Amino acid sequence: MLKLNAVSSGYGDVTILKEIDLDVGGEVFAVLGSNGAGKSTLMKAVAGLLRSQGGTISFEGRDVTRTAPNKLAEMGLAIVPQEGNIFPDLTVRENLSLGALVGTRPRKARMDEVFDLFPDLVPRIDQKAGSLSGGEAQMVAVGRALVQEPRLLLLDEPTTGLSPKYASSLFRKIREIHEQRRIGILLAEQNAVKALEIADRVLVLSLGAIFLNEPAKGIDFDRVRAGYHI
Amino acid sequence: MIDLLSGYAIFSLSTVLVFVALATLLHLQFGLAGIVNFGVVGFWGLGMYAFGILLLNFQLPYFVALILAVAIVALVAFVLGWVVLDLDSQAQLVATLAFAAVIADLVTTEKWLTKGVVGLGTVPHPFGGAQSALWLLLILLVLTVGVIVYARLLGRSPFGRLLAAIRDNEVLARNLGKDTSRAKLIFFTLTSAGMGLFGALSAPVRQFLTPDLLGPGVTFSVWIALIVGGKRWPLGGLLGVLLTIFVFDFLIETYLRVPSDWAQIIPILKLMLYGVTLVLVLLFRPFGLLGDRRQPTSHL
Ligand SMILES: Nc1ncnc2c1ncn2[C@@H]1O[C@H](COP(=O)(O)OP(=O)(O)OP(=O)(O)O)[C@@H](O)[C@H]1O
Ligand SMILES: [Mg+2]
Repeated sequence: MLKLNAVSSGYGDVTILKEIDLDVGGEVFAVLGSNGAGKSTLMKAVAGLLRSQGGTISFEGRDVTRTAPNKLAEMGLAIVPQEGNIFPDLTVRENLSLGALVGTRPRKARMDEVFDLFPDLVPRIDQKAGSLSGGEAQMVAVGRALVQEPRLLLLDEPTTGLSPKYASSLFRKIREIHEQRRIGILLAEQNAVKALEIADRVLVLSLGAIFLNEPAKGIDFDRVRAGYHI
Repeated sequence: MIDLLSGYAIFSLSTVLVFVALATLLHLQFGLAGIVNFGVVGFWGLGMYAFGILLLNFQLPYFVALILAVAIVALVAFVLGWVVLDLDSQAQLVATLAFAAVIADLVTTEKWLTKGVVGLGTVPHPFGGAQSALWLLLILLVLTVGVIVYARLLGRSPFGRLLAAIRDNEVLARNLGKDTSRAKLIFFTLTSAGMGLFGALSAPVRQFLTPDLLGPGVTFSVWIALIVGGKRWPLGGLLGVLLTIFVFDFLIETYLRVPSDWAQIIPILKLMLYGVTLVLVLLFRPFGLLGDRRQPTSHL
């Protein structure tokens, strides 16, 4: 579904990601690593938000190395960035309906599915997203991406700032979304334990390079942990 | 009735309507899409002069000249927008302000085309006859209402929501599947051309065009009106213009009998009151008198 071939990327002249090779199928693919390891940079590179510094990216067989983010969204890729992932001045309803700028199914049906998934949002529907609690705002951000009905969903630390209870429930929902819709999910996450519970495959980034890339099942946790201490 | 709609009253009402339209167009640009346009008078004045020149110097038919003038404004807006729209708001402010200053300068200096400070000839009303000024007023009324209705409908449409999203979080908006730069450029071109249309139609209102019409005061009046009325609200421009320009340029100047030695003080007083009003609004109602109310969102 998504293939990266020797992708280098970063900011300006600074290179953060160094020749990353990756093959994401229709699975839950966790990207782990400590602060500054390059998880968000990888997500942004895939979503077309950074200028390529080398290598190629393909999505569903098409070369998208230099494809603009809006074109990628049209092709079926949605991202929930780590920061600035809502439209704070717009209401919950407006935030969600913005997901419907792509796709063909009726907007209302798609939004109703999000409200089924996150019933906590229903009473907040006409509230400005900027006035929501951290957890509610994350639901709006994920919900907006789901309304886009992507085939590949990029989630960058969606549980940041959530209480453990909320975080667990959001993780369960991510798995649920994957199983219901059969979409690929690329999940950047700090918390290795939580991510391993729902992931099919695990990638550990360390200093912008791949430290480990293995199936989640039966993975040696000490090796994952080692990727955090370099 | 006769007294109410004297020639001067018609002139003033026409002027007020033009300001309502400009303020509503600025609501669309700034309040909805977050584009900072401090060159309102540039688009308006370009439309006005282009129309006058095409009509008087080139002898084009009335409506051909009108359409061509609006097309010229659209083209200029497109080029300016292409350069500045993806820059930050300070850059937009400076660039649009400079653009308007350039237009005013060109109109003053290019005498072969504009006759400079002497003034371009007299621009006639679109229809002849005794009621010609009234007809023009009606046209302006219809078009101004049209702009307000458009603003209202747009806010509830997917394109309007996209513009609001761009204003609110442009980086994120780029991931929604629409080309945000293109959306801004199309919208800026369209709304600036609208300002040009009202400029062209101001030519027969003013009749005699001189460069001093193109001072930055027009832009500031429109901005003050919009901020007083409420930048996020399609009726904000209307309300703001009624409370500022209408009160001063129409009610006071048309109906209030002021001693003749006050005549010089009124414009200064007006500017002072504008300033005080603006400060009070920004202090107590930062989102305008209509408050933070935005158009109700789309009802699903
Ligand atoms: N906008 C930017 N400009 C320059 N450098 C940046 C920028 N964003 C991130 N970096 C650098 O890139 C490196 C990787 O950052 P990145 O955000 O990808 O880390 P991360 O793995 O997502 O960390 P975290 O878990 O804290 O979110 C860091 O060293 C950071 O300083
Ligand atoms: Mg990050």
